[in-house]
Amino acid sequence: MKLEQTLIISICLGIIGLITWEVYWRSEGFYPTLDDNEALWSVQRNRVENLSDDDVILTGSSRVLFNIQLNEWEEVTGRRPVQLAIPGSSPLPVFHDIVEKTDFKGTVLVGVTTTLFFSSTNPKHEEWESSQSKINYFYKRTYAQRLNHFLSLPLQQNLAFISDVSGIDGIKLKELINKIKLGNRVEDKMPPFHEFKDTDIERNSKMTLIASQDTAYANTIKKVWKFFDEKLGPREKDSTIAYFLKDLKKFEARGGNVILLRNPSTGFYKELESKITPRAEFWDELIKQSKVKGYHYDDYEQLRYFDCPEWSHLSAIDAAKFTTELAKIIKQDGALTNLKTN
Amino acid sequence: MLFNSLSFVVFLIIVLALYYSKIFNWNGKKRMLLFASYVFYGLWNPPLVILLWISTMIDWITGKKLSTEENKRKRLLWLLLSMVVNLGFLTFFKYRDFLLDNFTTVVNTYGYGYQSKPMDIILPMGISFYTFQTMSYTIDMYLKRTERAKTFLDFALYVTFFPQLVAGPIVRAQDLISQFYEEKRATINQFIWGLFLLTLGLFQKVVMADSLLSDTVDKVYSSDKILNFWDAWMGTLGFSGQIFFDFAGYSTCAIGIALMLGIVLPDNFKYPYGSLGFSDLWQRWHITLSSWLRDYLYIPLGGNRHGVVRMYAALMITMLLGGLWHGAAWTFIVWGGLHGTYLILERLQRQFLPFKITKWNGIFLAFTTFTCVNITWVFFRAREFKTAWNMIGSMFYLNPEGEKVLSSFDVLKVGVIIGILFLCHWFMRSTSIEAVSKKVSPISLAVIWAVMFFLVAIAQGSGEQFIYFQF
Repeated sequence: MKLEQTLIISICLGIIGLITWEVYWRSEGFYPTLDDNEALWSVQRNRVENLSDDDVILTGSSRVLFNIQLNEWEEVTGRRPVQLAIPGSSPLPVFHDIVEKTDFKGTVLVGVTTTLFFSSTNPKHEEWESSQSKINYFYKRTYAQRLNHFLSLPLQQNLAFISDVSGIDGIKLKELINKIKLGNRVEDKMPPFHEFKDTDIERNSKMTLIASQDTAYANTIKKVWKFFDEKLGPREKDSTIAYFLKDLKKFEARGGNVILLRNPSTGFYKELESKITPRAEFWDELIKQSKVKGYHYDDYEQLRYFDCPEWSHLSAIDAAKFTTELAKIIKQDGALTNLKTN
Repeated sequence: MLFNSLSFVVFLIIVLALYYSKIFNWNGKKRMLLFASYVFYGLWNPPLVILLWISTMIDWITGKKLSTEENKRKRLLWLLLSMVVNLGFLTFFKYRDFLLDNFTTVVNTYGYGYQSKPMDIILPMGISFYTFQTMSYTIDMYLKRTERAKTFLDFALYVTFFPQLVAGPIVRAQDLISQFYEEKRATINQFIWGLFLLTLGLFQKVVMADSLLSDTVDKVYSSDKILNFWDAWMGTLGFSGQIFFDFAGYSTCAIGIALMLGIVLPDNFKYPYGSLGFSDLWQRWHITLSSWLRDYLYIPLGGNRHGVVRMYAALMITMLLGGLWHGAAWTFIVWGGLHGTYLILERLQRQFLPFKITKWNGIFLAFTTFTCVNITWVFFRAREFKTAWNMIGSMFYLNPEGEKVLSSFDVLKVGVIIGILFLCHWFMRSTSIEAVSKKVSPISLAVIWAVMFFLVAIAQGSGEQFIYFQF
């Protein structure tokens, strides 16, 4: 066998194939991005161990992830927060983890997307599992997994075809195969779900330009929100508040500070949230019982007129403005109790 | 560390660079390989390397004693010590909760109301594999079938050699330790062929098992519905492909990596879905485990030396324990029991209804064997008996109104892949990939290799664990 010849030809063909593949996907509008996966989250979670009392941790769901921009927050407050918000999740498990498993006694900002915050305390509930799975990964990750993540970063940052995105925008082999449709043996009612977030190494996330500027694109995301949330059932107010208060009490007892934040929503979501989690019964009740500083976007002129292109999150430009205004309000309010000001 | 991960790529490059550099002499290279093997294992869970050390120490000491001790009783005691330690670890880490669950169930049937608390102990990766490997050395020493390892380093490397440490092939001492005695360097052809096998193994795992089949299988086996005939069959056929590609992929990688170091490991799979009957199957599927079970369980239980009834009992016990080796659950035991039953029925057929296998009835026989194997996979894959029985019911058309969960494309995809897989195994059953590659032009082989590499790269294995790691 002339294996040397075979090896050289196969290396050349393989490299040509991969270059062509990369060029093709770039020509289709794809660009290198980081996967906002459990490994990236764990790196941020690990930073909590070394934070001081002046630091701020951001928790919540995707609205905190999209709407709070780290640069703008730092510019106003002088401290760069740690982003631990998890899309589509209840913030309660993450807050519980910070309270129970760390000595952190700085400030935790908890994003309250009412349909998620008050969803459930059942560990098998999807919103709970979304958070808990990342926490579990953090504790169980192996050194090999940490090394894999570290090694994958330069590839993710430089190659468009390295992507762990699933669904309609997925371009790894499995996703490309799953996109093939043939006949209608089983009906797939799920509308195509486009990716609409770019994340950096600190999980600072921004809505993609296309999602904020192309109405048709934003409409595809709106269809997905409706598909999932149109039939959303009643929320579990009492149990979720009780769970939160228990952790809050312990956190405050050691000197920790909590800020609650209600991010903007528009259209379908605003109506849905008003209907199944009316402000007076849920948000106001939570603030009343917890006795912590709470910021509802509707209470501030600077915050209430933002538009969400897909009803739920702010565009990158608006997120920067929103963060600046919010941070100023919080700072003026003295809510960052540990913040050392000049 | 997983073969289908970036960390392994870096690890292998470093190991190969050190192995082929002139920094070390042969002993130094072996020490480096041993250290690398501990790193390979420890990057998953460092404290569990201690188990490997204990196992290595016990069997090294036992082997040393058995090589000089002539007193039969003392020899037996040394053997028992090794077996108690090795099987003790295996039982504690793998079977403790299973035994406790069953104990609780039994005592509670007598109304004791006993409450057990599962310990949820982490299962050390590959413990079943390295335990069997190290035990084979001690048993062979006891039976005077192998020489004692010349040095502790050779023995430790035999137990820990990273290419086959966590999922085999399970290599016998005489086949591996002796290769460590003299300096090994792969020839250029061996090295390149090893690299080809590594690519082929990764292609099997990352592309075939993980990208093409796993989602379809998961969709079927995670469904809590009573399924349609086609969905049940396609899910099960998909699993037969997934587990083959997953496990054969691992073995192929292991053989390839070892070959790049100039070390030859035995074949673990020889086109098992082209088997003509079940005895043939077990000479083609996980060969190193089935030969281990034959040599260290079936034959000591009497084999075929004590009459038909004893032989069938030995066969059934071997297969039941073989099932239990795969996992601490009754479904695995049923899987083993079904294979035991098949083997017994096959022997009865050979005795009472013998027929000659020709090329015309051969493929029919292979297809029948493959179909029967698929029935057993249901119990292997299902997490609960309820799921397994529902699947079996659907596969035998007992649930004609069952629900459809697979798309038309899923059905077509699995049908085509498994059809091609079966035909490949049938046509390749008497040859090997190496023999076939010699008949192919270098350019054609290069194109095939490049396509496999390309597909592995664009599949971007997200580091999904090999199925057999859990065993």
